[in-house]
Amino acid sequence: MYGLGLLKGLGVSLKRFWMPKITQKYPEVQPDLPQRSKGSFKYDKDTCTSCELCSMACPNGVIKVEWHKDESGKKRLDRYRMNLGHCLFCGLCVEACPTTPKSIDFKTDFALGCWRKEDIYRIWTKSYPAAEAVAPVMAPAATGSPAAAGSAGGASGSTGVASGAPEGGN
Amino acid sequence: MSDFITEADGLETQEFILNLGPQHPSTHGVYRARLIMDGETVISAENKVGYLHRGIEKLAEGITYAQFTPYTTRFDYVAGALQPWAWCLALEKLGNIVVPERAEYLRVIVGELQRIASHLVMLGSIVLDFSAITPWTYVFNAREDISDLLEAVSGSRLLVNYFVNGGVNADLPEGWIPKVEKALDSMLKRLDDFDRMVSGNEIFVGRTKGIAVVSAEEAIEYGITGASLRASGLTFDLRKDSPYSIYDRLDFEVQSMPAGDSFDRYYVRLLEIRESAKMVRQALKQLPAGDIRAKVAKVWRPAPGEAYAAIEAARGIMGYQVVSDGTVKPYRVHMRSPSFCNIGIIPAKAPGLTLQDFIAFIASLDFVLGDIDR
Amino acid sequence: MVGFLTTIFNWAQGILGLPATSLADALPWWDILWAFIYFVGAVILLIINVIMLIWIERRAAGFFQERVGPNRVGPLGLLQTVNDTIKLLGKEWIMPAAADKLIYLIAPLLIVTISVTMYGLLPYGPGITPVTLNVGILFFLAISSVNTLSVLMAGWGSNNKYSLLGGMRTVAQIISYEIPMALSIIGIVMITGSLDLGTIASSQAHVWNVFIQPVAFVIFVISALAELTKSPFDMTEAEQEFVAGYHTEYSGIRFTLFFMGEYANLFSMSALGVVLFFGGANGPFLPPWVWFIGKTYVFILFMLWIRWTFLRIRVDKMMKFNWKVLIPISLANLLLTGVGIKIWQAATGAIKW
Ligand code: SF4
Ligand code: SF4
Repeated sequence: MYGLGLLKGLGVSLKRFWMPKITQKYPEVQPDLPQRSKGSFKYDKDTCTSCELCSMACPNGVIKVEWHKDESGKKRLDRYRMNLGHCLFCGLCVEACPTTPKSIDFKTDFALGCWRKEDIYRIWTKSYPAAEAVAPVMAPAATGSPAAAGSAGGASGSTGVASGAPEGGN
Repeated sequence: MSDFITEADGLETQEFILNLGPQHPSTHGVYRARLIMDGETVISAENKVGYLHRGIEKLAEGITYAQFTPYTTRFDYVAGALQPWAWCLALEKLGNIVVPERAEYLRVIVGELQRIASHLVMLGSIVLDFSAITPWTYVFNAREDISDLLEAVSGSRLLVNYFVNGGVNADLPEGWIPKVEKALDSMLKRLDDFDRMVSGNEIFVGRTKGIAVVSAEEAIEYGITGASLRASGLTFDLRKDSPYSIYDRLDFEVQSMPAGDSFDRYYVRLLEIRESAKMVRQALKQLPAGDIRAKVAKVWRPAPGEAYAAIEAARGIMGYQVVSDGTVKPYRVHMRSPSFCNIGIIPAKAPGLTLQDFIAFIASLDFVLGDIDR
Repeated sequence: MVGFLTTIFNWAQGILGLPATSLADALPWWDILWAFIYFVGAVILLIINVIMLIWIERRAAGFFQERVGPNRVGPLGLLQTVNDTIKLLGKEWIMPAAADKLIYLIAPLLIVTISVTMYGLLPYGPGITPVTLNVGILFFLAISSVNTLSVLMAGWGSNNKYSLLGGMRTVAQIISYEIPMALSIIGIVMITGSLDLGTIASSQAHVWNVFIQPVAFVIFVISALAELTKSPFDMTEAEQEFVAGYHTEYSGIRFTLFFMGEYANLFSMSALGVVLFFGGANGPFLPPWVWFIGKTYVFILFMLWIRWTFLRIRVDKMMKFNWKVLIPISLANLLLTGVGIKIWQAATGAIKW
């Protein structure tokens, strides 16, 4: 009969009217995300060996690792910077990281929204106690300002700038 | 403008040009059709594409094989997980890599789940073009069930980077298989509601049956593939006709509909969802233990040569042609994307349709602009 | 003019439950002042009504779609519409450079004026009809079709192809669906023997017209949906085809007026349905106007249920459906009604053979 399909449809929507709703009240109720969810990154600057494998694996030049060599020739990390605005969340960097547990890894915290585009950068700086600082020129590098880090690295001649990530950040 | 003026029954009417898109609510992206209209009737249509061109084929030449894998999900972003499959198949052919059996099964499971999600989007968007918002929410909620599964296994909901050269990049998380059963049940229940609400609806049937009929010969001539081809009465499906991965071990039917009109293009996808759900269940049952990834060198340099591989993606045949010159980066990458080939039929079928039917017609072809423009 | 104010005055007195002529005997300017105050009150009532309606529509739509709808601003999201209105009022007024200025500006005003006029005709209960007209229903239909004009003005005045197509469709649609609607109403008028809305409502004290005239009721619902340009007949603002139809080029307060007019019309059309088919303000225990508003809201929910389930029909099929199905059926219904009335009169001895 013509119209039967229409009535059936009315029945379905009436049924759904009384069924439980799936809306999540977001800021109060946080979503229950699976372990592997790629929200944003957590980074452990103490286990990182500054090997730069992550920044080489990245297809988009998101990661920039800045380091210097101490007098024994060991790599010391200065600054680890990620421009999440260019990130594909592909996980190649995490896959490439050789340390266990991974120095760079995903976490489920997904709130990346920000008002200023500088805030999309994730920057971790590592400072060393004055006694450990080998050359005096290293001291400004530890403060974390990009210009200072650049000049300090230039002075020591050993700063590794591995990727083509655009300049910026604070 | 004078050449557009025609005389009909002594009444002077004037045809006009309507630029449908690139910013238009129902062109499914930045597709633009330049329509010449006579009132509400389309006189002729012209495809205008390229608004989303990102130059990805060129981009591939500058990065390594592994680094290009995540980019492949960005073409057909509605069926993200399926795209790297074709790319990885081409690479595996190029480097003679044998994918472990478990990885093949995982690929089929994730791939079919992704196909379900993609077809659900198509069902939702075609009814949305008839302003039916309520059934649209049903299928999108159903898709949410699938997205949760994909997120649990790969970490992403939309652009699923799960397939890698030589296998998949992670094994199933704990407790995932029972979740699949539950999600498929809940998805199918929502789909049934949707089916009852829309497929029998006289208004919907009246607006799609007999509209823009593409015969089997035309479909072949225009190079249409995928579900849009199977809606014209053909049963051509790479999963059956040149089985890759482990599709030959699964027992499934290729769904097809006889008429080739908008309704059949819609309905064949609904049938395929049910079939895919069956395939996922079968594959989960057969799932063997073992490795998930073949040994591939970190710095992978395939021997110089060429390879082409194609899969049955959600919208049709997705193929990759890769040329290697023996370095870490591909020399040239070219892809055959189904959406681009499928929209070739639009100018041929548009004349005579009303604007409303034209919208329904392009929705039933189910194209994705990222797949057309690359 | 004074007569009009007096009726408004009486209506407000009825709502407040004041004894008639308690204040009217006082000074004449006092009379006019009160009438003015009550008139402002009535307009505020209209605005509150629209706000409630939008809230109901959004909540109901949410419930049909497995979500909960607006729930943040105010208790249960009740103040969401207030919030949206304030936002809309703060928006820039953009007028297309090539617009037909006068027509473009008048159109949104016209649509609201008409809605307010229609509110004034409804019998909210015995003694609280703002304007009693003995050709009430005729006037109601006449006024509601002026809506067509405002939509056409908006479509033409905006100088936009989508607006024009949307406006043209509306004219074709509303004008054609007015015929089956009028024919379905004539059956009721024949039974009642009156064109006055209050009389029609009170004549159903025993049995509602929906049981006497079920076919007319179905026709009325279909054509009311078409008149209101609600789904499945929402061609006029089919966003998938025409972006937003006739109000594509409107923003800010002008868009708000269109929006208000649309919902005010939803209320008045449902109220008409209640008067014609569900006994108007008749009902036990509760005061009549509560019955009236309550029934109207139930009727609105019913329309929303249809609206949120169906898909949009194609414009030429809609026309075919109207001229080839609805109008013949309503004519046949009219014939049957006439025959039925005569048989009834013969059976009860009202006429002698
Ligand atoms: S997730 Fe991918 S794009 Fe993002 S930083 Fe890691 S390698 Fe680069
Ligand atoms: S790969 Fe790991 S250890 Fe190496 S620099 Fe990156 S985060 Fe540090």
